[in-house]
Amino acid sequence: MGKRTLVPIGPYHPLLEEPEFFKLYCDGEIVKEVVWETGYNHRSIEKICESKTFEQVFYVVERICGICSTSHPFAYANAVESIPGVDVPIRAKYIRTIIGELERIHSHLLWVGLAGHFLGYNTVFMWAWKYREPVLDMFEIITGNRNSYAMFTIGGVRRDIKEEQYPQLEKLLDEFKPKLDLITGAVMDDPVLHARLKGVGVLTAEDIHDFGAVGPVARASGVDIDVRRDDPYAAYDMVDWKVITAQAGDVFAKAEVRLLELYESISIIRQCIEGLKKEKGGEIKAKVKEIPPGIGIGRAEAPRGEVFHFVKSDGSNSPVRHKVRAPSFTCIPTFRRSCVGGTIADAAISLAAVDPCYCCTERMAQVYNYSTGKRIMNAAELIKLSQKRTEEFKTKFLKG
Amino acid sequence: MDIDKFIDEIKKKFPNEIKQTEVVHTKRLMIYISKEALLKVTEYIFKDLGLRYIIVTAMDSKKGYEIIYHFSDDSTGWIINLNVVLPREKPEIESLTPVVYGTEWIEREIFDLLGITFLNHPNPKRFLFAEDWPEGKYPFRREQEKK
Amino acid sequence: MGLKEKCFKKSLWLFHFSAGSCNNCDIEILDCLTPKFDVERFGMKLVGSVRHADVILVTGIVTRKTRERLKEIYKQAPKPVVIVAIGACACTGGIFASGYNFDGPVDKVVPVNAYIPGCPPKPEAMLAGIMKLLNKI
Ligand code: SF4
Repeated sequence: MGKRTLVPIGPYHPLLEEPEFFKLYCDGEIVKEVVWETGYNHRSIEKICESKTFEQVFYVVERICGICSTSHPFAYANAVESIPGVDVPIRAKYIRTIIGELERIHSHLLWVGLAGHFLGYNTVFMWAWKYREPVLDMFEIITGNRNSYAMFTIGGVRRDIKEEQYPQLEKLLDEFKPKLDLITGAVMDDPVLHARLKGVGVLTAEDIHDFGAVGPVARASGVDIDVRRDDPYAAYDMVDWKVITAQAGDVFAKAEVRLLELYESISIIRQCIEGLKKEKGGEIKAKVKEIPPGIGIGRAEAPRGEVFHFVKSDGSNSPVRHKVRAPSFTCIPTFRRSCVGGTIADAAISLAAVDPCYCCTERMAQVYNYSTGKRIMNAAELIKLSQKRTEEFKTKFLKG
Repeated sequence: MDIDKFIDEIKKKFPNEIKQTEVVHTKRLMIYISKEALLKVTEYIFKDLGLRYIIVTAMDSKKGYEIIYHFSDDSTGWIINLNVVLPREKPEIESLTPVVYGTEWIEREIFDLLGITFLNHPNPKRFLFAEDWPEGKYPFRREQEKK
Repeated sequence: MGLKEKCFKKSLWLFHFSAGSCNNCDIEILDCLTPKFDVERFGMKLVGSVRHADVILVTGIVTRKTRERLKEIYKQAPKPVVIVAIGACACTGGIFASGYNFDGPVDKVVPVNAYIPGCPPKPEAMLAGIMKLLNKI
């Protein structure tokens, strides 16, 4: 075993928006081991949910993560509504789907931008974020807020999409399409990006199965899963769309999957608007009196993969146990396969390719300290040694 | 996967280990198993049938500490849940990490929140909340809450 | 001209510290940088190290684990430094105030100069807040 060098990324690092601590143990240029330390963002949401009523929980789970602020309520709604077996009105289903897909658009754009930023390709960053703005404005028009929408409630949605708003939505999609072509072109046809991203951070289908990774990460490795199709909820079985997959499993494939998914989202929203036009004047909320005792399991496909909510009710007005599994929780560990063996320069983009969302992961997760027996002991000793040395130097120089 | 066939098959395969099966509601199956059978059953479900691991839920219920292992069958949308109940006095269970690689984090999380020990865990360190988190305090245990 | 005026007269460099937020506030801060809001026209810029910063933007509740880090960051910052608490979480604890890992809103740990409430505050609100604060100094 050669000498190992520790390259810390975080907890407060210019690359990361969120507090996160990656330790890369390197031998020369090659990453040998990655240790993830977390817990900075743990807000004990699952416990808070147990003290809220079923209705209030929507607004808590919305704040698990700002980017997936529809996916969590979506999965939670699926879970809670399955306990009494609520029939959600069709109009509400369409509205839910529209919100969910708009969110996918803004989230994937955000990722494309950030990925470009990580690579130093800031043009893409600025473009993607600029074209994300109209989507947020649309949210503000429909729901009243740019990010946390508070649209969902048990049995339906809280606000209707008004008829005047259909043309606005359609206009948004019309205008967005050419811009998406532009961004897709900028990423897919750029020889530099091809050279930079192909073959980097590869995950095989086995890795995906081992870790239980989901979403675009899995689909980029040829694992054809998507909750929207496999366990349909809301209006996804009433519209026509297809699941995008790629085979390569590298960072480029992940970008490709995400970009092509946006086209599907556009088509889904268009079909939902048509559906809304047909369902004119329909109910948007079913009446739900109480939640009987029982267990509810709900899933939803967030932009980052499957969100899983488990709700246990004892017949009172708040859940007795509420478990949340965000997609990042099973996607982040894959860096152990994707980064190790690559170079330091590739690590950042391999990590980013997962589109990790630490807020989601840490609603529960705590300090994570990975070690494989002896090897890391040495590395740890190395750090201690280096810390000791630094201390020695400090005292020496400060005194001297 | 046909669910009735699946239930028959798994009951035939593990006649003693499986206590009860129950369809909770559409597309959700709960299988109650004994603690000792966990590794065997999981190996069958995860490796042989190739179901996808989702997550592990642990909770403090009337029966004791309940642990639910969720697996998903993506071809049909069924969620297969393995339910294990641990006694309150000695909450210990075999770790799943040797079989399902992805459970490592969640098992530590559960140890932190409920104080359930996972035997043969490859890295059974305490899941620190923060440096100053009091020892032996598990926020998800109900009796502690009442005190 | 006092030191304070001199420090805050021209381009402000911002450092973004996410204590325990839900990401929304952080994204909205990043949003300020992008073409639509473009804080760089005021000479403001996000910097990577707190040692270069004039303003620290704190988002989210302070969890038990971030408390020490926040103190450390504050210690490292060159004084005078302005701290802005962004979002309901940072101002009061917001929706997470009843959690067991909550360790107080930001002003319990470090002195805060301005509060920008909202969940999340809009980028316009953030800009307005910081501008107001500057005019006061
Ligand atoms: S104030 Fe609201 S948006 Fe901001 S971090 Fe807190 S919960 Fe999230």
